Amino acid sequence: MWERITAAALGGAAILVGAFSPAFAQERGGVVNVATIGELNTLDPMIATGDLLGMVTQHFFETLYTFDADWNVTPLLAAELPEVTEGGKVHTIKLRQGVTFHDGTDMTAEDVVASLKRWFSVASRGQLVAAKLDKVEAVDDYTVRITLTEPFAALNSLLAFNNSAAVILPSEKIADTLTEYVGTGPYMIKERRVDQYLQLVRFDGYAAREGEPDGFGGARKQYLDEIRFVPVPDANTRVEGAIAGQYDYADLLPVEAFDRLQGQAKTEPLVLDSFGWPMFIMNNKEGVMTNPGVRKAVQAALNAEDMLAAAFGKPEFYKVDGAMYPEGYPWRDDAGVEAYNQGDPEKAMALAKEAGYDGSPIRILTSRQYEFHYKMAQVAAEYLKAAGFTVDLGVFDWATLVQRRAEPGLWDIFITHSPFLPDPTLIAPLPASYPGWWASEEKEKLLGALNTEVEMDKRLAIWADLQKQIYEEVPFYKVGDFSSLSAKSPKLKGFSGSAWPYFWNAYLEQ
Amino acid sequence: MARYVLQRFLGMLSVMFVVVTIVFVIVRVAPGDPAAVMLGPDATPADIEALRVRLGIDQPLVMQYLFFLGQLLRGDLGQSIFLDMSVTSALLDRAEPTTFLTLFSILIASAIALPVGILAAYRRGTFFDQAVTTLTMLAASIPSFWLGLILIQAFSVRLGWFPVAGYGGPDASFLTRLHHLVLPAVALGVVSSALITRFTRASMLDVLNDDYVRTARSKGMSEFRVVLKHAFKNALIPVLTVIGLTAALLVSGAVVTETVFSLPGVGNLVVSAVLRRDYPVIQGALLVIAAIYVLINFGIDMLYLLIDPRVRY
Repeated sequence: MWERITAAALGGAAILVGAFSPAFAQERGGVVNVATIGELNTLDPMIATGDLLGMVTQHFFETLYTFDADWNVTPLLAAELPEVTEGGKVHTIKLRQGVTFHDGTDMTAEDVVASLKRWFSVASRGQLVAAKLDKVEAVDDYTVRITLTEPFAALNSLLAFNNSAAVILPSEKIADTLTEYVGTGPYMIKERRVDQYLQLVRFDGYAAREGEPDGFGGARKQYLDEIRFVPVPDANTRVEGAIAGQYDYADLLPVEAFDRLQGQAKTEPLVLDSFGWPMFIMNNKEGVMTNPGVRKAVQAALNAEDMLAAAFGKPEFYKVDGAMYPEGYPWRDDAGVEAYNQGDPEKAMALAKEAGYDGSPIRILTSRQYEFHYKMAQVAAEYLKAAGFTVDLGVFDWATLVQRRAEPGLWDIFITHSPFLPDPTLIAPLPASYPGWWASEEKEKLLGALNTEVEMDKRLAIWADLQKQIYEEVPFYKVGDFSSLSAKSPKLKGFSGSAWPYFWNAYLEQ
Repeated sequence: MARYVLQRFLGMLSVMFVVVTIVFVIVRVAPGDPAAVMLGPDATPADIEALRVRLGIDQPLVMQYLFFLGQLLRGDLGQSIFLDMSVTSALLDRAEPTTFLTLFSILIASAIALPVGILAAYRRGTFFDQAVTTLTMLAASIPSFWLGLILIQAFSVRLGWFPVAGYGGPDASFLTRLHHLVLPAVALGVVSSALITRFTRASMLDVLNDDYVRTARSKGMSEFRVVLKHAFKNALIPVLTVIGLTAALLVSGAVVTETVFSLPGVGNLVVSAVLRRDYPVIQGALLVIAAIYVLINFGIDMLYLLIDPRVRY
């Protein structure tokens, strides 16, 4: 699922090192080299999800809204937050004037409508909205109206998200397959050499918002002349490159490298707490896990702490936490978490027997492309065997796993991970269409209410009920929270650690 | 001779046709879907199917194969699914780093292996010979990625003489790009030298006891002349074969080293294409690699003519 994990966070994400320090005077100029975990499969952030894609393309494509430092939706290309009428069904969006694309043309409502229509059609998140869409239209040159068939509380968050993103493109460049990557962002593409670099240069015609930077929102300052994203698939090479000073920022490093990064002259470690959460998705449609009693038995058998320790090593890099959101998020709630981290094979054995488990193998799909998935799978397999389950651990490359998980007859559990998303309606395994196919009546009722309710207090209460339902029905198993490690040059200032690192507002101290 | 060359050429074509057909079938029969990879983890089955239609990979296998052959006959290797460029352009992009990396690695390997192998054979049974045997075994056992990391530690991180990885930025000159190849070439060269040293030693041992070597010595020739001019020239044929095959292997098989040093080489291209199921790139790259293998073998056979006057085709 998501390669990068998110979310800096609602005050909870502790950036241990490298936070923005206003003591330095910002300096214009310089080039930063950013070592990423690999090459992008596409530069079109609408058609694909994936956090690396969001991290890179957010520098040249922009959305109507984005998220501020407290993870609230805040306007970006929109002039302000939408005017919502008709009980949440009509969103009228005023656009900023004077915004130009990299090709020099002005952004108008025509571009926004055309871009949103493509988003509704090709983006998986856009299709969530399309299911409730009546129409999208230009009211005038700088006003767009979205009319829904029913209220949809997550609309603004979806419009603000940076992958499967509702980016705004010039209408004449819109095609099924993009051939030109023209956006409104503070940086634009100068050259791409696949597997070598993506070179972005400052867009001199950029219209920044007024005011101060605020998370992904607020003013976006263009201090750097260039940003170069360099794919470096080998994690050790990213570590050594950061230490040697070749990379000003090295993304997603193995947690074992933390000690080595400390005390270096040319780089320093950057830790993001509660970066994301691994999960075991159960097959609710076909096979042995369709039996709710067996799912509860598996839940009782699994020991989250041991799985996290095997996967992430040092306790500083994980938290044994059953709540679907970590401390600091408004969605944090402990409903149902007493069923988490039981690690009780005897209880599991009794529950399995009671459920009529017949010894059928539990087929677990995992991939070594995410080594922590594989390590967790190994520990889980041992706990399940101790509880009397037969386990068939299938290790595949990620592409194969993604294909196999779409076939309900081929698996019982697969392992993936997710960021902490700004709105729980965005959690991937909640819709019944996601592999796992959780479609119970009670869940559909709660999810529907969460989607349509607009008052925050009521939504928090619905979410608490839904989290309790997750522990009751066990459609998936949250293993815990994990942190991420990156490295940055001490000379790189104005940079805040983030799940999707961005380099506007950053500058190099001379 | 002309007939032989024609025969070899036709043989090369059939080998490549077989390779292409096998590769075409295998990549499509293997599980995994480029549309699913491109769309990412949260794509719905409907999204994936729509993209499969757009990419033309929803067509029956036979239709896809005929389309592919038609393209090939027009000299078109197709369009990469992921790279926003043709397969030919992707391969041409990789030609420079791969060619120079292979060349440097083979030069380094040969510069180590030939003198050491000759000397070890000449001093058979001595401490030097035993040391060479041990060291070549060690070099052959060292994973090139490990040696690469050690070289990075020593020469990039500590001494700062070479870049850690990559192939230079947008403004990198030709010399700067070559500078990026030094450490990976050393890593590959050292590991490759082990096999060539062993073959050189064994081949030299075969000829050093031959009558013509004894005759040369009895005629009062210097040992240097006997060993290098008479013995080594005759020992060279199997050694050249090994060098040629090592070079062919490096074109496609330096994947791990290319990954450690983040080099945009052909091996890296093939592996990422396999992981992404970029069918056209896998097919095109393997076709070119097969052609390189066949051509290098052909080139070695031609070299035999120069080295050994007894060889006739």
